[in-house]
Amino acid sequence: MAESTTPDTALAGALSPASTPARVRSRAAELPWFSLSVFAVLLVCAIGGELLFPHDPNALDLGLAFAPPAWQAGGSWAYALGTDNLGRDVLTRIMAGTRISLVVALYAIVISGGIGTVVGMIAGYVGGRVDTVLMRLVDIQMSIPALALALVLAAVLGPGFETVVIVIVVTYWTWYARIVRGEVLSLKERDYVALAKVAGCGTCTIFRRHLLPNILNTLLVLATLQVGQVIIFEASLSFLGLGIQQPDVSWGLMLADARNYISNAWWVITLPGIAIMLTCLASNLLGDWLRDRFDPKRRQL
Amino acid sequence: MPRILSRRSIGAALLGALPLAAFAQAAPAPTGTLTVAFASESTAIDPIKISAGVDHYFVGQLFEMLVRPNAQLEQENWLAESWTLEQSADGKPVIDVRLRQGVKFHNGDPMTAEDIEFSWQRQRDPKKSFFSHNVASVERIEIIDPHHLKIHFKEPDASFVAGGLQIWVMPKKYIEQVGEEEFARKPVGTGPWKFVSRSVKEELRLEAFEDYWHPTKRPGVKELVIKIIPEDLTRVSAFKTGRVDWIDNVPPAMVEEFKKMPGVKTQTVVSGNNLFINFNTHMPKSPFNDVRVRQAAAHAIDVDAIIKRVLFGEGERYAQVGKGSAGYDPELKPYAYDQKRARELLKEAGYPNGFDIPCYNLTTPREPNVKEVGEAMFAYLSSVGIRCQVRNLEYGAWISLGKRGRSGPPEMDGVLSWMWSQGLPGDPGTPWVGHLHSFQPGTGLGTYSYTNDPEADALVMEQRRTMDPAARAEILKKLARLKQERAIGGIPTYRPLVTFAWRDKLDYTPWPVRDYWRVFQEVGWKQQ
Amino acid sequence: MNISRRLLHSLISILGASVIIFVISRLSGDPVSLLLPSDAPPDAIEATRQHLGLDKPVLVQYLYFLGRALTGDFGDSYRWQVPAIDLILERLPATIELSIAALLFSVAIAIPFGVFSALHRGSWFDRFGKVFAMLGQAMPNFWVGLLLILFFAVQLQWLPAFGRESWSSLVLPAIALGWYPVAAQTRIVRSAMLDVLESDYVRMGRAMGVPERVLIWKYALRNAAIPLITILGVYFAAMLGGAFVVEVIFAWPGVGRTVVEAVFSRDFPVVQAGVMLTSVLFVASNLLVDLSYGLIDPRIRHG
Repeated sequence: MAESTTPDTALAGALSPASTPARVRSRAAELPWFSLSVFAVLLVCAIGGELLFPHDPNALDLGLAFAPPAWQAGGSWAYALGTDNLGRDVLTRIMAGTRISLVVALYAIVISGGIGTVVGMIAGYVGGRVDTVLMRLVDIQMSIPALALALVLAAVLGPGFETVVIVIVVTYWTWYARIVRGEVLSLKERDYVALAKVAGCGTCTIFRRHLLPNILNTLLVLATLQVGQVIIFEASLSFLGLGIQQPDVSWGLMLADARNYISNAWWVITLPGIAIMLTCLASNLLGDWLRDRFDPKRRQL
Repeated sequence: MPRILSRRSIGAALLGALPLAAFAQAAPAPTGTLTVAFASESTAIDPIKISAGVDHYFVGQLFEMLVRPNAQLEQENWLAESWTLEQSADGKPVIDVRLRQGVKFHNGDPMTAEDIEFSWQRQRDPKKSFFSHNVASVERIEIIDPHHLKIHFKEPDASFVAGGLQIWVMPKKYIEQVGEEEFARKPVGTGPWKFVSRSVKEELRLEAFEDYWHPTKRPGVKELVIKIIPEDLTRVSAFKTGRVDWIDNVPPAMVEEFKKMPGVKTQTVVSGNNLFINFNTHMPKSPFNDVRVRQAAAHAIDVDAIIKRVLFGEGERYAQVGKGSAGYDPELKPYAYDQKRARELLKEAGYPNGFDIPCYNLTTPREPNVKEVGEAMFAYLSSVGIRCQVRNLEYGAWISLGKRGRSGPPEMDGVLSWMWSQGLPGDPGTPWVGHLHSFQPGTGLGTYSYTNDPEADALVMEQRRTMDPAARAEILKKLARLKQERAIGGIPTYRPLVTFAWRDKLDYTPWPVRDYWRVFQEVGWKQQ
Repeated sequence: MNISRRLLHSLISILGASVIIFVISRLSGDPVSLLLPSDAPPDAIEATRQHLGLDKPVLVQYLYFLGRALTGDFGDSYRWQVPAIDLILERLPATIELSIAALLFSVAIAIPFGVFSALHRGSWFDRFGKVFAMLGQAMPNFWVGLLLILFFAVQLQWLPAFGRESWSSLVLPAIALGWYPVAAQTRIVRSAMLDVLESDYVRMGRAMGVPERVLIWKYALRNAAIPLITILGVYFAAMLGGAFVVEVIFAWPGVGRTVVEAVFSRDFPVVQAGVMLTSVLFVASNLLVDLSYGLIDPRIRHG
């Protein structure tokens, strides 16, 4: 425990939702139906896009502003979840926001995962000075709170989709780096790696053929858990006005628009937030399930 | 022994003295504290550091001009007791000004013609002052005696008069004594309120100036605390809970509620502001260089619906010039809301699928709900194909963006929501010099303009030189029509109405300073 | 790891943070355009160029920046013409107050709920707690804030929604900020308690006849405290930085809100000052957590 990362691993452990003690859960056989169905719906909305929208997400009709959801007095099924302050259909906008959320999550996780994995592998495998330097970099990066870093970057780069992706990548690559490094540290002592070295395999080959497949599980769990985190982060940035801008639609942006109308229109404040919550919940549960399936004893994530 | 000082004679002497005392102090000494809340905060309290409209909110409490609009919106001679327009030997205009006697600065120094001359010098330096071009047409100020001066002009400038002989009166001796920085921190003027302290983003504290010159139109309250509360709901709640007794910018959605509130008085005034949207027609590749695209934008927005729904009726449409100001033309009508026509025009111009363009929106509540109005307008543009990438800007950044001739980024490269004001109601003369005349670096012409139309330029300069009001009005009407047809210098949208609310037991009369309200000239607690 | 080493690490982290902030500020190419309004008069621009040492090599520029930062000089907020650091420091107490309140709230809920869940494992209370924890960790804290305003301030009118006027103004923001930690900490307390309750140590105590109450409150809770305190420290540090959005929603006059406003005013000196200060506090809190962790659990001290 030379490099005590206790607070960090504890945090990581704490961040894993509903963290169960090191008891084997006998639910590995059950499929996470809730998560899978939520993700299925999200994917359908994201891919189907314009074909599925009941209305144009940006079509405004001031005469229809603040129409309540269909099940309330004054609502109609044409605007099933009601309209916002400019008369835009809430259901359509939630569906439109799906695409942005998933695309941001995809870019961010793939890029930050890629960078973090490479850094983590190098640090873990090479060890020594390189390891120290790289992990020091990670520490430094993490000494600036994520949102603060996001604000500084947004101040310079200006708000927008690219900024959101850059900010998220810059924030989240460190998680991958740390965890992958931990994995690699324990893996590199294994026999087959030593054998591969003896057999003369180049470092790259060792990375590719021996290390990577074994950390893939960990990566997958982490990536799944991150989907929720990333979406919440993007929503926070967009809510502040630093992320996705109109005419693009983001759930965070919808909440920002609704902020002034808390007294008039409860549905515009509540429904996009429920979308965020369900997505995050689905990702957390799926990640939990994956983790339990791969190695129920593991708490390090 | 003769009784020289009999009781009766003393009494008579005293009685004789009373009327003099009554003249000397016509109003009772101010008492009590008034706490008010503004939605926007001035950045500067030094008059020459005024960079934007909201700065007048603070400056106007402490400083005054030679002429100003009064509560009835008539131009009233203020620090100038009288003035006349003459012509000098070489045909250039001269304004002969007689200053009011007995005006003092907050530090006790008396106001003299030297202060006027000094103030002008300070205001005309473009390195220091953002609005140096307001006094640029003045050649020199000739001091005849401490209360008599002549303002010599290089050329005729009708807007100078329209702007109330626009020199902020600042104390020469004091500034020379303490220096610029100290003055900016602790300003001293002739206005009804004295500076006490300021906490940025929180409040400004002022005290009634006991030696203020006006015998009747002066504060009856001793202390004034101006709190800054930009969030609508917070400001309203502060008023409702009694934390503040006066607020500006009652949210349009709540105006009805406030009007019916017991123990509360409201007043709705035309804010004097004229809002419009402008386009980056200074860039060669801009789609808005085609007049059809600009007209399409004009047809795309349903301003009436916006006024009705987003502003809850607290706004009025205008074609180019508002009702009541010079150059108002009742025949001129704004562009009709016609999305079909808009799309046709775009197609004719070669944009059948529309185009993407950045659209800059002001978020600070400089006018009520200006952010929401901007979003609605840009949403309308998007719905005909002018797809707005909305960029939100806070007040300072927004002012910066609109200015031409800056040293650095960002570029105004799309649609900009903007506003102009000049007097109440608004005289478009100077504003059009600012955003209709083409930009000429170093001259003060076109500082906010993206237009380059020589015919418009000629008319703008002509109206500026025409001192006769009737002739000038004709030129302005002609210019307005040209501006409308060619959709240059931006497309007018609406003129906001702003509502103030205050407690019944407060005796308050809204006074403007220049074209901005929120000045506490006449205010006092009612004696029960 | 002894104190001096950890201190050194923290210092390096802070230094590194300053490098990151410096680099970011140079990303835009022309830092003058960041630090001054774009319509600034030419002599102001010249003065700023000199001040930043823009004609000198980058390393020298960084040293200028660092030197000034150490004395708290981040330049003047050009929007307000006061030193940027003043604007931030004036609002620091408000942010600390909010973070502490959120922390207390989270502990006040997490400990009893977590203990109760552990003691009554499998009960409806435990299961409800699990669902609540799952949901709680899936809700963004700004949304929680909005819902709290909707419910308690607008509908019920029990509590104020905005500003920092009285003690009651602290309630809703603290709950919003502490929501996620509550959800997470309840589970941690629960599982730590369960671990301890089934440990040999406690079993022996039971066998020896030590009363259950003593076992729970004296031994189990103390051991469960270790991961909890660790997490508290981490969350406190995170809250200092992450309270930004909550402050914006509740118009809480803290550092976060000021920095967010500064971003929109393009007032970079204030953004720099705010982020730098937040990072320093963040690192300092983490350091304190590390050190106190070593104090609580002697096993870790010389880890």
